Amino acid sequence: MILLEKINKFYRQGNQMVHILHDISLTIEQGEFVGIMGQSGSGKSTLINIIGFLDRQYQGDYIFKDENISKYNNKKLTTLRNQNVGFVFQNFKLIQNMSVAENVALPLMYAGFKKKTIRKKVSDVLTKVGLAGYERSVPTQLSGGQQQRVSIARAIIGNPTFLIADEPTGALDSQTSKEIMTLFKDLNTTNKTTIIIVTHDPQVGQQMDRLLTILDGHLTSDSGVHKNEI
Amino acid sequence: MIGIIIGIASVITIIALGNGVKQKMISEFQTSNSGEQTTEISYDGEESASSGFTTSDVSQVKQQFGRELSHVEFKKDTNNISINSATVGNSNVGTSLSLLKSPMSSSRLIYGRNLSKADLALDQHLILLSSKLAKKVYGNAKNALGTAIMINGISYRVKGIFKPSGYDKYSVNFLLSQKTYYSGTTINRANTLKLTVKKGYGASKVTNEVVSYLKKHGQNRRAGNYSYFDEGALLKSISTVMDVLTYFISAIAGISLFIAGIGVMNMMYISVSERTQEIGIRLAVGATQKNILWQFLMESIMLTVGGGLVGFLIGWGFSSMISLLIPYHIHAIVTLGNFLLAFGVSSAVGIIFGLLPATQASKRNLIDILR
Repeated sequence: MILLEKINKFYRQGNQMVHILHDISLTIEQGEFVGIMGQSGSGKSTLINIIGFLDRQYQGDYIFKDENISKYNNKKLTTLRNQNVGFVFQNFKLIQNMSVAENVALPLMYAGFKKKTIRKKVSDVLTKVGLAGYERSVPTQLSGGQQQRVSIARAIIGNPTFLIADEPTGALDSQTSKEIMTLFKDLNTTNKTTIIIVTHDPQVGQQMDRLLTILDGHLTSDSGVHKNEI
Repeated sequence: MIGIIIGIASVITIIALGNGVKQKMISEFQTSNSGEQTTEISYDGEESASSGFTTSDVSQVKQQFGRELSHVEFKKDTNNISINSATVGNSNVGTSLSLLKSPMSSSRLIYGRNLSKADLALDQHLILLSSKLAKKVYGNAKNALGTAIMINGISYRVKGIFKPSGYDKYSVNFLLSQKTYYSGTTINRANTLKLTVKKGYGASKVTNEVVSYLKKHGQNRRAGNYSYFDEGALLKSISTVMDVLTYFISAIAGISLFIAGIGVMNMMYISVSERTQEIGIRLAVGATQKNILWQFLMESIMLTVGGGLVGFLIGWGFSSMISLLIPYHIHAIVTLGNFLLAFGVSSAVGIIFGLLPATQASKRNLIDILR
């Protein structure tokens, strides 16, 4: 489904060009549960920005569902992102002055759904993440774990093809981390949603079906390759 | 925000009052329902006893201006009518009289009785005599009561003596009922001519043409002067002053709106930088740049339109209050057009000063925000 071929990424820092990604090539199939590990500054965030259609300043080819999207313009990419990707961030990134329901409804609102449909879908998805009845609450009233659940609800409401989670447990204690990881696993097994999780926590990394390791912009290991060979 | 309220309020106030003046002007123009307007031409004779307009003048004007005028008639004079001869006692005097439609105030009465409403309505040949003339003719004014006076061949009985005054309708020697005076007579001369101008012709223009025609062809053109007092022109000059005032206030309001607009822009910039995270989140979940642009533009428009509407209401109230305080019964009039003006101007301010911050918001680099 996702096919990256020789992705290179540079960015300018002062007068010198930094080569942050070196020839990254990888494939991710539908329904996979992938982890990306690496130290901070290794380029893993840059990589998921490219995978999640946030960044289009790179060299190489990105083939998504048999279509080369590396030359897409911003607007086309936005539509693609809206329909196919759900994001979960480390610090939740909820809009503080909006209710939980409004936060969760955002992707559907921009996709142009009717208000009635949105309301139903919002309560469905909140039930799915275990927050039924919290529609009218404001994010600040919720605990970190609950906020992350809202953020997951927002990510999955549009039925995305894949989910990208950037350090989803980074700001949570170990107990809530476990709960959130269980939620991700559930989503993966019951909905067959492809999930890509970035982490530098080895504990989290171990729970993945497939683990990619990045070091200084190079893809150094890919456990999935071995699995597939076996 | 306050700047917008003040700006819109002041513009609406002055415009509402200006509308009131214009409305007043139109009603003063004596426009009838059919759109016809009436004007009056007056004649000032050198000899006080002469009347300026004759029947031949009327028919000539009718012929000449048949297209523009629907009606030409003598205006029945009521005040200070000159008469050539009246017989009081045994003497003949050239004098003047005024006609009454309603009874004279009884405080003017010296002897005898006042003319009552019934006296005026019925064709009673009764008359009031001024104390000055009565004294002159009869020695003692009291003696005049009950005597007969001949005016234009008709005799009247003196019912009371009144005190004449300086320069108004009571400066005459006789007072009698208008109905009685004009009954049975067709007036063939008058000092005032009443014109009715048809719809679509400028009343003052046509009247001025009639005046200049009369100056060339009128029967008594050598003995006096024809004049037309254009009330419309006076009101027009007031309304011109109002117009200038409107421009002046609008200019001040424009400056106030400009400053307010800069304030709005500043506010929007702060809002955009404070809500960077929100912009990032919205972009990440699928908002296009256009969505973000519109969101911030709408916020700025809502801000200014809100101020504009408050200003509109304040201006409305303020102008009504002012109209109560000034004389001439000028009512403040606020039209739908004024409302749309307030609405339009305030949303224009919102768009103009909101566009830059909103564009900046929409051009934010998503990756930088989400880092």
